[in-house]
Amino acid sequence: ARISSSANSHTSFFFQGVTQKIIISGTVLDEKSTPVPGVGIKSLKTNKSTVTDAAGRFSIEVESATEQLSFSYIGYTTQTRAAGSGATPLSIKLVPAEGVNLDDVVVVGYGTRRKSDVTGAVGSVKEEQLKERPAASLNQALSGRISGVQVNSNSGRPGGQTNIRIRGFSSIKTTNNPLYVIDGVILPVGSQTQNSNAIDFLNPGDIASVEVLKDASSVAIYGARGANGVILVTTKKGSATGGKISYDVDFSVPTIGPKRVEMLNAKEFIEVENLAFDNAKIYDPEGFAGGKYVDPRIKRKNLPLLFDSNGNPLYDTDWFKEATQNKLSQNHQLGFTGGNAENTYGLFLNYRDDNGLLKNSYLKRYSGRFTMDSQIKTWMKVGGSLNYTNQTENLVDIGTGGLNSVRMITESFPFLPVKYPNGTWADNQNYPGAEGGSNPVHILTDRKYILQTQNTLGNAYANINLAEGLEFRSVIGANIVTRGRSEYNGRSLYGISFDQKGTATLDNNRETYWSFENYLTYNKRFAKDHAITGLLGLSWQKTNIFGFAVGGENFSTDYLEYNNLSGASKPIPGSSRADRFAFNSYFGRLNYSFKDKYLFTVTGRMDGSSKFGSNNKYAFFPSGAVAWKVSEEDFIKGSPVISNLKLRASYGLTGNSEIASFSSLGVLGTGYAAIFNNTRFGGVGTNRLANPNLKWEKTGQSDIGVELGLFNNRISIEADVYYRKTTDMLLDAPVPLTSGYSFITRNIGSMENRGLEFAINTVNVSTEDFTWNTAFNISMNRNKVLSLATPADIFGVGNPGFTNETGIIRVGEAVGSFWGLTRLGTWSESERTEAAKYNYRGKTILPGDVKYLDVNGDYQINDADRMIIGNGSPKAWGSFSNTFKYKNVDLTVELQYSAGNDVLNMTKHSAEDRVGLANSYSSVLNAWTPQNQNTPIAAIRDTRAGYVTNVDTRWVEDGSFIRGRNLLLGYNFPAAITKKLKLNRLRVYTSVQNFFLATKFSGNDPEVTTYSNAFAQGQTFFDYPKPTTYMVGLNVGL
Amino acid sequence: KKFLEEKDPSNLTPETYYTIPEHGEAAIAAAYAQTRFIGNGAGIFVANFSMLEMVTGTARTETGQNSDLNNLLGLSFNGENLLVRNWWAGLYNVIAQTNLVIEKVPAINPMDATRKAQILGEARFLRAWAYFYLVRLYGDVPLITTPQTATSPDFYPTRTGTELVYKQITDDLTAAEEAGLPWQDASGRVSKGAVKSLLSKVYLTMAGQPLNKGAAYYKLAADKSLEVMTSSGYGLFPSYADLHSLSQENKGEHIFQIQYLATVSGNPMQQLLLPNFKNVSAYSDEMGSTVPTTKFYQSFEAGDLRAKDREGFFYTSYYTGGNGELKALNAPYIFKHFDVVANGTLGTAGTTQSDLNWPQIRFAEVLLTYAEAQNRADGTPNIAAYEALNKIRRRALIPELSGLSQTAFEEAVWRERWHELCYEGITWFDMVRLRKVYNESTNGFDNFVGHAFAESPSTVLAEKHLLFPLPSVEIKNNPNLRPQNLGY
Repeated sequence: ARISSSANSHTSFFFQGVTQKIIISGTVLDEKSTPVPGVGIKSLKTNKSTVTDAAGRFSIEVESATEQLSFSYIGYTTQTRAAGSGATPLSIKLVPAEGVNLDDVVVVGYGTRRKSDVTGAVGSVKEEQLKERPAASLNQALSGRISGVQVNSNSGRPGGQTNIRIRGFSSIKTTNNPLYVIDGVILPVGSQTQNSNAIDFLNPGDIASVEVLKDASSVAIYGARGANGVILVTTKKGSATGGKISYDVDFSVPTIGPKRVEMLNAKEFIEVENLAFDNAKIYDPEGFAGGKYVDPRIKRKNLPLLFDSNGNPLYDTDWFKEATQNKLSQNHQLGFTGGNAENTYGLFLNYRDDNGLLKNSYLKRYSGRFTMDSQIKTWMKVGGSLNYTNQTENLVDIGTGGLNSVRMITESFPFLPVKYPNGTWADNQNYPGAEGGSNPVHILTDRKYILQTQNTLGNAYANINLAEGLEFRSVIGANIVTRGRSEYNGRSLYGISFDQKGTATLDNNRETYWSFENYLTYNKRFAKDHAITGLLGLSWQKTNIFGFAVGGENFSTDYLEYNNLSGASKPIPGSSRADRFAFNSYFGRLNYSFKDKYLFTVTGRMDGSSKFGSNNKYAFFPSGAVAWKVSEEDFIKGSPVISNLKLRASYGLTGNSEIASFSSLGVLGTGYAAIFNNTRFGGVGTNRLANPNLKWEKTGQSDIGVELGLFNNRISIEADVYYRKTTDMLLDAPVPLTSGYSFITRNIGSMENRGLEFAINTVNVSTEDFTWNTAFNISMNRNKVLSLATPADIFGVGNPGFTNETGIIRVGEAVGSFWGLTRLGTWSESERTEAAKYNYRGKTILPGDVKYLDVNGDYQINDADRMIIGNGSPKAWGSFSNTFKYKNVDLTVELQYSAGNDVLNMTKHSAEDRVGLANSYSSVLNAWTPQNQNTPIAAIRDTRAGYVTNVDTRWVEDGSFIRGRNLLLGYNFPAAITKKLKLNRLRVYTSVQNFFLATKFSGNDPEVTTYSNAFAQGQTFFDYPKPTTYMVGLNVGL
Repeated sequence: KKFLEEKDPSNLTPETYYTIPEHGEAAIAAAYAQTRFIGNGAGIFVANFSMLEMVTGTARTETGQNSDLNNLLGLSFNGENLLVRNWWAGLYNVIAQTNLVIEKVPAINPMDATRKAQILGEARFLRAWAYFYLVRLYGDVPLITTPQTATSPDFYPTRTGTELVYKQITDDLTAAEEAGLPWQDASGRVSKGAVKSLLSKVYLTMAGQPLNKGAAYYKLAADKSLEVMTSSGYGLFPSYADLHSLSQENKGEHIFQIQYLATVSGNPMQQLLLPNFKNVSAYSDEMGSTVPTTKFYQSFEAGDLRAKDREGFFYTSYYTGGNGELKALNAPYIFKHFDVVANGTLGTAGTTQSDLNWPQIRFAEVLLTYAEAQNRADGTPNIAAYEALNKIRRRALIPELSGLSQTAFEEAVWRERWHELCYEGITWFDMVRLRKVYNESTNGFDNFVGHAFAESPSTVLAEKHLLFPLPSVEIKNNPNLRPQNLGY
């Protein structure tokens, strides 16, 4: 830009008292120094405004040099600058907005709205943010992004085994998972396996934006399926400005994570086992005298493959190391987009090959997507997309509770080699007196659990402009998921398939879903101050599921695996299942705004579901919301401090209908086989009680929120408080067992969640060369069960069982509560008489035994002494991330934290209370001895001489943590270079994910569960260790 | 509206079923299948059958990981105990299914009248079998004799007096006697012999605690058992090995058994009964869940074949891996239920697939029921009673008895019951019925209340242990069941 000559002359003719005009001119550039057309420039004093031209140039008249000019552009932080004398042209460099931009358009159910006009609590994540942390699944990518959304990545498995909760729990029996809607097509909740979620099969690289609807006003449009929140995914579209090619690639390697548990080494194990034998004399004198126990010193002498003649071990194996791999993973994403203002298309291809930390653990995905949109007539737009994904995974950590791979990493004896010199596997089973099992490398090699999922997702739409502001839209959506499980457990896997001489299972499931939705949208502004948007629609959805499974046992060879079941000597009777359910719904919404300051939204949906009793097929879910844009009021408008202030409040009802189909019908079961004459005889017997009154679970939610922007939104804050109450909870209400049934599915019981969400984004430094942005969020949720079907506590629902019930659902308490005894420590010598008043399994308690709190003082330790001993839900969680940009280099440091969540670490029970049966944690070196009486760990003894072990407070640990989630260093090649290469974008980056973990938790990782049960968060029994992942990536655009 | 109508393609509904004879067969088959709950798991390393052994003092465990089992063993159990709940639920499931059969099958027409009567007889036997367990375990229990829906009047039932429950049991069994069942049935179905044997057992129990019906019922028990003894076909096996041999299932000495078949549902007790990880079987899981106490094992008379290693009811050594070198175990384990085919034997590897049935009524028990009942009914043992007792002793290679007083004979029979019928879920009910417990040290009988277990003297039976508690959850869900049994 050049200096305006007139500006010079004007300043020279300056007269006092007369308003002189100064013409200020300049150029606006983006972060890549490219001129930006269309940037809004406004004088904050006179409200005079203009926009930049095609070359990014502008000129504007001001009254004084001190007058403030603001520069605003969608997607960038609004900047303010003093006009100056006009002597030098202004050069404004825009900084991409990290925080909320008020003019961003967000997707809401069945439509879009400007962020500033939204009356509900909606969180939004854009493609650019998702790119910062490449992830295998959407859930992983969302983690920590939005307040109120809790994503637990509970396993180091590729894909992560995520668990997502929006604002706590709404249900005990049905799902707590949100509803996913992709490009307006509701994904079926359907049947899932192995903690996978329908959304896991979507390639995150295809996502343009994600919106999370949290409050009742936003989700009510999804009525009976909105109670757990709704996640709206918008996929990438074609380009309106000509052909573009993008290529994104990353390579990564997993390594053993920041924390690992220590097990006994060979030498320590031998000492511990010797002591265990010696102590049997004390804890079972009779059995010891009778010769019941074998001296391990002698035992080892007979094992020349493992011990030398002095009984010293020949090997000292680190099984963690042996079982893990550092294998390269890669992910390629190729995008072709093209088109013009009328017609756009896009083709996206993805190949992902993830190799997990554990040997032979992988996830491979091929996906392709084609999308097309065409303004075929001035009054009609049509389009659609078709997406196909083929995903294959080997889940190597299945079989929680059994002697599976992850368990044997801890429990394999350190004195075993992986294989003996003759090439055969060395397994715990080879060591007399041990519990058995195979070594982890053996299991990882000979056990396959292949999940193959093919997902076809498509939609086609037509938008017809019927009249000014009136649009009709019709969408057909379809989702066909075929899911196959091919499982083979080898003939030599002790404790898994050795007794069966190999087991194979094939399970196939096909889920076909279609939806057909039609709706009218009407937009109109009346007079000047009244604007309305109306929506009215109806919808049909149907799901059909069919599946079958076959299997066989007893194979003469491992060669066939699951590929030829006729090789099985013992066929397992096949089974099949069919399921279908349908929805029919009517919905509507009205938005009204007055003077663009006062916003009102009313929503309602009438939903009908086949799953409910004949007396209750339909239900209505209304909601309402108001918002007040305070910053539009004259008393604030133009304030140099407050640039945005919006208050909003909403209330509404939503539902949850995700119970099994046919739950209202009384049925007979075929799961009864009698045996007559040593042959199977199929029986048909009692199975389920009918309940024709079965209906929806209802959640009422109120929400109050505030959105605040300060200093031109350099600081933006969004905070919400909410209260959710679920009533008519669908519960398997226990019925008297005397009826021959154990429960009836009923609408009874209630539960509440109260919570607080707070997010702040700040632009700390913003100069031409250096910017620093911070994003912090914190969420808190408190859950309480208000009433249940009967006064009785519920056990065995939502929690896994262990040596005892591990969890309880009790009125007045939060779901996810752990249940057990309180361990006070161990009995000391001086307490011998007191200890002797207790007996356990008929045996008198001695010094060195575990000392429990005898709650009722009856000298019996039993169920009456159990109580709530912890809870797996955090008191607060969130993330804290900082992004620094210096010229073309950027650095992102993202931390994730969780506070107040307990972990029920049952792994420790196995690794501390069963010395000798398997390897133990090295913490047993601190076990009770007469010299070390002040310890919580019982005296070591041969297990047959009796450990007392229970679900107790010893296994409950504080799982609070701070995790270094992602450390990313990127470099954008400057325009000069990209131009030379004929590219419009070239970026390289390197990242380390899970780069540190600060926690008091003694296990591998406190963000964990090894169970799929709804309230099992934090309950772990040998988990897939989470890796630290090193990554390099490249983004190319041309 | 049709769009939202529901029809379950994978399941049947009670309204539309029960139309042809095959439906009657499928319905009674389900009741048989339900009886297998006795072997079903109850948490880690435990099956339900252990409940009846842990409280007798004759058994212990080598695994400490199941606290429900531990609490039973230490007599510190209460209504929260999972096994206590599983027995209650399992028995009422059998009852619900037999109620369904008894209500629905008569309406199936056309159907062969003989077969219809038999099915109803089988159902009545199984219902009586279930109620007999219930009334002995829990005392007064709800008496449900019709299929339930959520609107049934007795959906939240009250408890029925023990006496009336017994009346239902004897009514059902008396009816089943006339149902045209064959005397024996090697297929594993209920036979007339099973009905009469169970009835004799019921009468014997009614004669003792808690009903104390005395001589008249001892007479009924003696007569009923004599009918079985004099029928052809039943008798003692010559060898104890036959008791757990696949070829002798449902015949000879076995009058009624719970049926197992690996391809449908394998015998789940095998691994549980093996010594804890001693590698004496083809099974890789050896749990030691229920094993004999040494004191009880040592209480067998010198020379008793039943205590001889691998020849009677116990083993103290076995083959490494099930088929290798003989290995001393230095402690007794239960051989009575040991499936040689599944575990392996010298030179033959085990299949780890157990088809072995689980006994419920054996001819040996009928003999001892007769001996005890006749002695009490007539005031003195007759020749047949001596012969019944001595048949058992003869097989055990221990001296025959003669010339005993009424009480000495009775104690001899009791002692024999302890030793012959151990680990079959019988001993506990003898303890309750007699209010006596065999004392391994004195070889005599202690009163139930105050008896201390030989191997864990701090474990002492109290009055409250005469009944198990009702499952706590059941009492909470159905307040009509209050009060809980005394002492819990």
